[in-house]
Amino acid sequence: MNMEIAEKIKNVLVDTLRIPADELEYDSELFGEDIGLDSIDSIEIIACIDELFGIDMTGAPREDFQTIETLTKYVEEHTEA
Amino acid sequence: MAEGKRVVVTGLGLICGLGNDVDSCWNAAVNGVTGIDTVRSVDTERCYAHKGAEVKLTNEELADENCDRSSLLCIRAAGEAIADAGLDLGSEDCSRIGVILGSCVGGASSIDKYYTDELKGSGSDPADIYKMPAAAIANNVARHFMLNGETANIVNACAAGTMSIAYACDLIRSGKADVFVAGGTDSFSSLAFSGFHALHALDADSCSPFNRSTGITLGEGSGVLIVESYEHAQRRGARIYCDVLGSGVSSDAHHITAPRPDGLGQMSAIRRAVENSGLSFDDIDYINAHGTGTAKNDEAEFLSLHTLFDGNDHLSVSSTKSMTGHCLGAAGSIEAVLSVKSICENAVPPTIGYSDGEIAKLSEKAGGLDFVPNKKREKEVSRVMSNSFAFGGNNASIIFSQTPSELPEKPEKQPVYLTGVGKVLSETAEEPDSGKRAAVGSAEFKAHGIKMAFFRKLDRFSQLQLLSGVKALENAGVTVTDDNAGDIGIIIGTADGPIKEIADFQINAIKNGTEKGSAFAFPNTVYNAAGGYLSIFSNIRGYNATIANSIQAGLQSVCYAMEVIRNGEASVMLAAGTDENTDIESTLYRRLGVTGDGENGIELGEGSVTLVLETAESAKARGAKPMAEIAGCATAHSAVETDRIDGSQDALKKAILDACSDAGVTPDMIGAAVGFADGNPVVDKLERETYAELFGAELPVFDAKKQYGEARAATAALQAAYAAELLSERDDLEYVLAASFGLGGSYSAVILKKA
Repeated sequence: MNMEIAEKIKNVLVDTLRIPADELEYDSELFGEDIGLDSIDSIEIIACIDELFGIDMTGAPREDFQTIETLTKYVEEHTEA
Repeated sequence: MAEGKRVVVTGLGLICGLGNDVDSCWNAAVNGVTGIDTVRSVDTERCYAHKGAEVKLTNEELADENCDRSSLLCIRAAGEAIADAGLDLGSEDCSRIGVILGSCVGGASSIDKYYTDELKGSGSDPADIYKMPAAAIANNVARHFMLNGETANIVNACAAGTMSIAYACDLIRSGKADVFVAGGTDSFSSLAFSGFHALHALDADSCSPFNRSTGITLGEGSGVLIVESYEHAQRRGARIYCDVLGSGVSSDAHHITAPRPDGLGQMSAIRRAVENSGLSFDDIDYINAHGTGTAKNDEAEFLSLHTLFDGNDHLSVSSTKSMTGHCLGAAGSIEAVLSVKSICENAVPPTIGYSDGEIAKLSEKAGGLDFVPNKKREKEVSRVMSNSFAFGGNNASIIFSQTPSELPEKPEKQPVYLTGVGKVLSETAEEPDSGKRAAVGSAEFKAHGIKMAFFRKLDRFSQLQLLSGVKALENAGVTVTDDNAGDIGIIIGTADGPIKEIADFQINAIKNGTEKGSAFAFPNTVYNAAGGYLSIFSNIRGYNATIANSIQAGLQSVCYAMEVIRNGEASVMLAAGTDENTDIESTLYRRLGVTGDGENGIELGEGSVTLVLETAESAKARGAKPMAEIAGCATAHSAVETDRIDGSQDALKKAILDACSDAGVTPDMIGAAVGFADGNPVVDKLERETYAELFGAELPVFDAKKQYGEARAATAALQAAYAAELLSERDDLEYVLAASFGLGGSYSAVILKKA
């Protein structure tokens, strides 16, 4: 996993979605009971990923939004070399 | 029916995208002419939507006053309504004429201007700061017309206009005033455009309610009704348009933006309105629907209307938002004016935008209900219901009628007790000159069973309110169940609302563009989000209102809650005062030059104090121990400039004397007061002098603010809690007064009695 990308995503989730940093791990289930993101939050994540990396996640499957790890993987795979 | 209960409409005023007066708006609406056009006042260049229904007049053309556009729109509509009613203000007792207005975005266009000026480096104008809060609107209108009756701004987003008219009628029925200028207003704003854009809730084309349902189109405007007691109207020989019958207010307790898909909250408000009107579902001829054009609203509303009204073979339903756009806090008031016109003209305005194919599809969805596509329906219209449903899950419904109706009796008056208090207050000053801040963190929430998945979504204002509300319920030992949820309500008072979330959202939209709004933050920018979150977390489903009316709103919430209980709409009410202090507030207040150390100049604080008010019957039934009795309360107003209070002390006297009379006591029976002095020399002097005049020099006055700072509505509500604590601790006190002030000249007084 690209730690630089993961850290950027984590920071933006903490700032934009007000998730306490000390309770957010790279493998935390974002849409699970503890953090509890919902559909409005996923709009926000799409906007943030677009802003940070220029990658449009509109229509990406739900699995890609599960954790910071899966988001990082998506960004890595869609970053042009 | 007892004539004392009749409230009638005698004047109308309207301005919106359809036109600048009632006649031009009505003619356009009934003939299916749209007011929706390309947006001019907001930069939509990089947005996916560009439509809106804006008023064609500039601020200068609206009214000769230096106020925010929301106030100017309303002054214009109120002027038309007062003239239409033939109210001769010169000969009326203006202390019996009040102003209750709804707004969602309040001074959004002034907030936009202030921060745009600041970010562009051209220098912002501190005078714009007083134009920011929604609290300024009713006072601006009252001052323009020199009206001195009670004022309030009900800030329940898209239900605010309907709720304001409903509350004004309730106050007339209970004798608090003869006449109200009632309605709502909202200007077009980049805040709302950017927010709904971020939520993907805007239609790329003109909205098409009950049809394609692919989003809303925003609008702006103001609708005003002159509502009046029947006797007063008769005495002055006024022309009567119609009666206002009952209303209903409820809370979904479901989601901060989306309505309950099962329509239960909507149906609860509609059912209350019909019952409070002494009618049945079959008596309604026309429903001016909420009909925003979002898929979620339209589906839930179809379901609610079918469930309650199927079988009514003469019911027409339409959404005039298809022409006016969604005017948010003004929507209910604009639709109220159109509803009254519908009765007067015996015609139903259509929902426009259907193609032939879509009309065919509509008839499948509509069943026996007539949704009036594209062309008006001319028919006899005697009774009209207008519905408004809002962010935060607030629902409101009101009924206008050509003829009076036998309204149900109010329940017998019984004592109301304070049975619980929840406090979150600022204790520590982090840095000099920024005031005090409250400790609100993960530990506090988790201690009350509130999970991170819930509290992280809340802005600071909502967090403060949620914590104090939950603590109050715990302190009172109230358990909310499916059985009592509808019988418990919430009234929140605030001076400045969630200004941090609003300002941050606005600053982002200015810096990065209208199209970059935050979908996460936008739902929190409405003043009633806090009340929505509290109802969602606690499952409270009864009455739910938020009032913005400067500092005293924290006690006006008690007066409002008492009104709701005495009307039999709830057995238990949470009455709260909430205001936050963040970098935004401390910067703005510092800029105004009013801050100081609490002795000379105010030291800002923040917090939320929630009081649990409960009927004697309810308290007894669950074996609750009362802390004190709420013996009497009153609100009064004396119109002065928005940023001042000097010259308005008569209203403080009136509020105290009216509260005494409500409690059945004379001023000499008051043993002590918990005061509102906050270090502002003008405020402190006015309080001292008024108490000396009413009570003599000996009245002990306790200070609730020294420890916590001026936490505005929060410390106003704290004064009542403090008074209850004094009563339970000291044997020598029987009655204690808590009074507070608001900029613009509003005051509320509450008298607590030893329980």
